Amino acid sequence: MAGFMQDIKFYDCRIVEGSSTSIILDNGKIEEISKNFTRGAGVRALCGGSWGYTAVEGEIDLKQGVEAASKLAFSMNKNTPKEAIELAAVSSPEIKDLPEIKIDPRNIAIEDKVDLLKDIEANAQVKGVNSTKVMYLESEFKIEYRNSDGLECAYELLNVGFAVSAVASENGVYQAGRESRFGYGYELFEKENVMELAGKAGNTAVELLKAKTPKGGEMPVLLDQELAGVFAHEAVGHASEADLVLEGDSILENRIGEQIASPLVTIVDDPTLHEFGYYPFDAEGVQSRRTEIIRDGIFNSYLHSRETAAKLGGIPGNCRAQGYSMPVVRMSNTFVDNGKAKFEEMLEEIRDGMYLIGSRGGQVNTGEGIFQFNAEKGYLIKDGELTELIRDVSLSGKTLEILNHITLVGNDLKMTAGRCGKAGQLAPVSDGSPHLAISKVLVGGA
Amino acid sequence: MYELARKALLMAEKAGAEEAEIYYASSHSTGVNFKKDSLDNARDRFSEGIGIRAVVNGAVGFASTNSARELENTVEVAVAEARVRESDPDWTGLPSNGKYPVVSGIFDKKVETLELEECIGYAMALVEGTTELPGTLPTSGGFTRAKARQLILNTNGIEIEEESTTVSGFVDVITINGDTSTAYDFAISRSLDIDFFALGKNASELALKSSDGIKIEPQKTDVIFHPFAFSDILEEALAPSIDSDNVQKRRSGLIDKLGEELAVPELSIYDDGLFEAGIETSASDDEGIPSQRTTVIEKGVLKTYLYDTYTAGKAGVNSTGNGSRSSYMSPPAVGLRNFIIDYPETDIIADTRSGIFVNTVIGAHTANSISGDFSVEARNAFTIKDGALDKPIKSLMISGNAFELLKNITGAGLDVRKVGGIITPSIRISDLSVIG
Repeated sequence: MAGFMQDIKFYDCRIVEGSSTSIILDNGKIEEISKNFTRGAGVRALCGGSWGYTAVEGEIDLKQGVEAASKLAFSMNKNTPKEAIELAAVSSPEIKDLPEIKIDPRNIAIEDKVDLLKDIEANAQVKGVNSTKVMYLESEFKIEYRNSDGLECAYELLNVGFAVSAVASENGVYQAGRESRFGYGYELFEKENVMELAGKAGNTAVELLKAKTPKGGEMPVLLDQELAGVFAHEAVGHASEADLVLEGDSILENRIGEQIASPLVTIVDDPTLHEFGYYPFDAEGVQSRRTEIIRDGIFNSYLHSRETAAKLGGIPGNCRAQGYSMPVVRMSNTFVDNGKAKFEEMLEEIRDGMYLIGSRGGQVNTGEGIFQFNAEKGYLIKDGELTELIRDVSLSGKTLEILNHITLVGNDLKMTAGRCGKAGQLAPVSDGSPHLAISKVLVGGA
Repeated sequence: MYELARKALLMAEKAGAEEAEIYYASSHSTGVNFKKDSLDNARDRFSEGIGIRAVVNGAVGFASTNSARELENTVEVAVAEARVRESDPDWTGLPSNGKYPVVSGIFDKKVETLELEECIGYAMALVEGTTELPGTLPTSGGFTRAKARQLILNTNGIEIEEESTTVSGFVDVITINGDTSTAYDFAISRSLDIDFFALGKNASELALKSSDGIKIEPQKTDVIFHPFAFSDILEEALAPSIDSDNVQKRRSGLIDKLGEELAVPELSIYDDGLFEAGIETSASDDEGIPSQRTTVIEKGVLKTYLYDTYTAGKAGVNSTGNGSRSSYMSPPAVGLRNFIIDYPETDIIADTRSGIFVNTVIGAHTANSISGDFSVEARNAFTIKDGALDKPIKSLMISGNAFELLKNITGAGLDVRKVGGIITPSIRISDLSVIG
């Protein structure tokens, strides 16, 4: 190998091979059936304080990949030398407890899958709905990991899931309802009441036509499990990612041990759960493990890669990548842990305010600790009772203020599968929460 | 896999495809990235693959791969998928008779041959720009150059091959003293004409100016959106309704609106696949249709939706050259080319007595893509007083509707900017609702 290899302290390779199938049904018609086979590898090399990274697709020559990544790292370090990067020590992961698959989707004929989608779509076509779409996704992949310290491990996973959306319109107003479920095995379609979910998507679209856009302002708000889960992921989870902390881009920098939230709040990231963000080991071959980010309101831990764990002191296991992209610190299954409050109690606590349900996405500025989320729909709460249906409502504010304004935590934790887009890469995650009562937050409306 | 493209087309015919298309794409990108003020990593990425559309009895199957070993299997899967589907009465065929225009400025040999040391130099210029002024630090960012090649072949005789280059720079900064504020700047181009030092400096200045923001009262006021903010809202809240696929599926807010006065008469919007050195410029779209310039809104009137071959066939019109793919892994779908916002330009801030200037927004992707309703958090926003930026605003939510915006445009700046494919000046909207 080339002369610079002696300066390379560490390298690793991830080889990913897999295929994915998608079927899209649109207004009763098959819009697309597509299948994709991919094979590729990502190679990292470390020289002093610099990383080199090479990704190659197709037929892979790993030795060449390692050399190319090493050359990049070497040149970077030569041009702009800086303090050497240390990596936290790890041992071989134990691959156990992978999600069990009872019905292998690969054994189901494509015609049967199309029929299932047609049934789902028919259920979404409730009176008033004039457009529907259903998507089926199936992906299987094998990940092999090797590094220069001799660590070698591999696993295979197979996911399936579907998403259904319905649109209703009236007098130039268009509203949509969406539902989706993702999991590990075709039995998902038996376990989840998919036909009912499809009906729910249709009904939401129709109901929202009549909903009003409320007047915005500061008020008490009750968040449903999905929207509260988005808050846990976007506002708290991202700010606890140690790479952002090291970049000086997190309001949670230097806060470990501090009371940053109401003592009712515990927020956890747990890749060992068989939810959509599951993995047995991360993109650095590190055994996955549960991390309490916030425990009883006290900020407890960042999420780490081997590099950030060595720098800040912590335990790695949250380094992830889409396919063979360069891995970054990121979440898995992130949730606010159950409290004790019952839904009715929470309505009573809010008294006059809003109940916000579901999410159409959100964004966060981790450096300033500011977030913005749009709810799918909501209800006005008057005298502790749910009243009028509302739409086009969004929620924004400061992460730390909201955490402190949580007055009740429900006992009905629910997880929702999704994809997180950090660093331009999509990774499967799930997030969740029980219902949360918040005493004061800025709601945007008309 | 490039040399296998022709073979794959023959394979598809042999496997029973009546029509077939091979879309080959490859790219090689090099990125140098920094964290805080020091370089963190260099990345080289080679990507290459083939996507196959196979048509049997008026039904289309699609499959893709990046593995030469899987190619034959992939072709067979595409044909088998087509067989599963019922004949689609709206399918009129793959493109044919491609006579291509000449486009310029999309390939720069210098970008292709850039050495790693030079990439490092550009990344360092971004960092150095941010340190020109005291009081800020970059958090992350980087420089990337890429070269791409694509080849489209089909059984109707389409054969078009193109090469292009891109360079881009991104920088995110945060203030280090007192009140925390952040800002970013970004630029993408076909050649090395970006001033990376200036990008870093701009971001740093903007973060500093944004510190110690004030709170403002909820109100209706004139809002000027910087090209970053305006393009974000356009893309998420307006563009989906111009997509003919959404129109045909009754998911557009612009159904039956052709010929209607949708916007103020000073506004025209063009979708232009031929724009000199544009990020979305190429001789052909991603299914072999010659690129063109399409007038979408002419003096306020909606002239056309945007079509790919399939949606055009369904509507009985010609494709506007908007067949677009995110990679070889997806079949074509309607997508914007260079989307040009044209409105008489003036020194817009100087012409505004009172209002708000918004640099960027977060949450545009949460907009209702059918109704056009959006509610976003404004970032790096400032009050305008007597024709000049006055005070930074700490937190600001802006709600509105994309179609209403078009009717309420009252001015545009001199600061036209290419935000990816969207080319727009700053745009002033009257009477928008803001909550501080």
